[in-house]
Amino acid sequence: MHRLPTLLSGIFLVFLTSWLGLVAYPAIQLGRLVPVSDAETGGSLPPLYNGSAVAGQRVYASEGCVYCHTQQVRQTSVTHSDIERGWGLRPSVARDYLRDSTAFLGSSRIGEDLSNVGTRLTNATAYYNELYAPASVSTEATMPSYSDLFKVRQIQGQRSAEALDLPPEFAPKPGYEVVPTTDAKNLVAYLLSLKHDYALPEADSVKNSPAPPSH
Amino acid sequence: MNATIDTTHYSRTSFLDHGDDTRSIDESVRLPVLALFGNAIHWFMVAVLISLVLAIKLIVPGFLNFSWANFLSYGRLVPIARDLFLYGWASQAALGAGIWLAARLAGRPLASTRDRGVHLHTLLISATVLWNLGVVLGSLAIFAGYTTGVEWLEYPGWASATLFLSFLLIGIWAVLLFDRSKNEDLKVPQWYLIAGFCSFPWIYGTANLLLVWKPLSAASQGAVQAWFSGSFLSLWLLPVSLAALYAMIPRALGSPLNRGSLAPLGFWSILLLGGWNGIQRLIGGPVPAWMSSVGVVSSVLFLIPILIICINLLGIDYRKNPRVGRNVSLRFLILGLFSLITLGVIGAVSSLPMISAALHFTGVSEAQTQLWILGAVTFPLFGVLYEALPRLLGRECWSEKLSERHYWLSLVGFWLLIGMLVLEGLFTGLALLDPAVSFLNVSSYAYPFRFMEVVAQLLLLAGAMMLGVNITRALAGDYLFPKR
Repeated sequence: MHRLPTLLSGIFLVFLTSWLGLVAYPAIQLGRLVPVSDAETGGSLPPLYNGSAVAGQRVYASEGCVYCHTQQVRQTSVTHSDIERGWGLRPSVARDYLRDSTAFLGSSRIGEDLSNVGTRLTNATAYYNELYAPASVSTEATMPSYSDLFKVRQIQGQRSAEALDLPPEFAPKPGYEVVPTTDAKNLVAYLLSLKHDYALPEADSVKNSPAPPSH
Repeated sequence: MNATIDTTHYSRTSFLDHGDDTRSIDESVRLPVLALFGNAIHWFMVAVLISLVLAIKLIVPGFLNFSWANFLSYGRLVPIARDLFLYGWASQAALGAGIWLAARLAGRPLASTRDRGVHLHTLLISATVLWNLGVVLGSLAIFAGYTTGVEWLEYPGWASATLFLSFLLIGIWAVLLFDRSKNEDLKVPQWYLIAGFCSFPWIYGTANLLLVWKPLSAASQGAVQAWFSGSFLSLWLLPVSLAALYAMIPRALGSPLNRGSLAPLGFWSILLLGGWNGIQRLIGGPVPAWMSSVGVVSSVLFLIPILIICINLLGIDYRKNPRVGRNVSLRFLILGLFSLITLGVIGAVSSLPMISAALHFTGVSEAQTQLWILGAVTFPLFGVLYEALPRLLGRECWSEKLSERHYWLSLVGFWLLIGMLVLEGLFTGLALLDPAVSFLNVSSYAYPFRFMEVVAQLLLLAGAMMLGVNITRALAGDYLFPKR
């Protein structure tokens, strides 16, 4: 019974089941998803990223943000805690990722979920400070400094409008300023555009769905 | 049925021994297996070292974090270490272990004549060089920021294509060995080897095609990535480990499998469930609801094959053989088996939606990954290494003292790491359920456990260094003490 040809065909058939279910099915079925039109603005949902945000995805990948930050608000059938924590108004669905080149779903939450970070932190300066000196935002931060995304340079004439306003203990020495590089600007443009604050046909915002059980 | 043939066969001799032929079989695979294992162990040591750095970075974020050396940042070292474990170490060692086991199980030398053997060795060694070139260039690309951004598949397309090609060049010879097997009715460990060696090209090829070479729409990437990470472990690496367990444990104990007739059920259920249980990573995630449910069901059902493996291998009477306690190879194999049991239980429990709600994305998820890579895969590979090397070199080559130290440091470091990751996961996971506790506050709960994780990584590194010294000593012996 366990001769090579029998074994090989058996392995092939058994293997095929999960391949059809988890590779072929999503590739065909989810691959067919398209943006929906937005009645309010006449645009489409999920909205297109601007050019800077598109480039920012590359920085997000290169710097490995995905190893500490997920980008998925879990379904309410499993938990309400992601939504209660303010990480999103509704669970993430496959269509939310349509505009991404890579789906940064993540598998670890050493840091916070970022699916809707653009709705929580709306000001680029806040991101720059956190990226350059996380400890200036919170002394307990696990996040390392991404100072390589910034340039410390001598002030030529007037201080640049882009220069970071840092608390004294994080500021560069007098006469110097910290300015974001293009990579930093692109990354922040991408993070700012991470906001899934609209309803999709398959995902109403939680306001319309049954209230979470009280604790 | 064949199961009864297996049992009687076991009781008389082992599948792995073929009298006078044994020596020529070993010689026929000696060079490629040594090359594969030798390279793999280097990567293992580098990966363990990086893991230590990563563990320190989690408690001291500024450690080795310089603006002029962004390649040392946490976000770059994580994928480098993980891919070194997966491709540099585990896959490469599994290829080496697989070829040795395949030749021994088939009872045939790798090549039929000496001349062919020389050509084949040249081919296999070139393919090994190619594989390592892929690993080096892939890692450098991540250092330089050219990652694909897809977890576990970070190597750029050309590097993964190199690995893929190299695998085909090496793996085909293992598969051909089964075709020439002395016993037409193939044995349990042979089934597992065939399954593993046939799965790799399919899994790695599909995943690279759809996520790296010609990426799908991001909406469908999540499911494919989850399928890849689950299948890569349970259909490629685990089968090779299980082949080692099934071939070597009964042999070391001099007893047949316990209830060998269950083995086929275990085999087929691993194959069936292994492809599905990766989707456990997306329970509650942005995939169709049925996939989430399948993730739960397959994780729970995965206990069935694990139970069968335990009945088969732990049901053997261990007291019969008094030398068990001194056999490092056997003890590593059994350590791998216990890791498999632990990961089955944690996987099943933590996939239940209520529990997944708290523990998913925490240290418990990381503990599962470590139980897979370090536990169920790495330890059995060590078991093969300790058994195979003296046979390949044709002499006793291990320092018993160093082997013992390697074993104990690995055992303590490993279980300490798993224990701390699970505790970290429990504390932070439960705290995360309560939105009133701020996220920063939650992270501070993890601190004491992360501190102990550094200690665990130090022990693992010390263990890896013992292995490194031991194997250097073993191989250098060829030059220092030439064979008589």
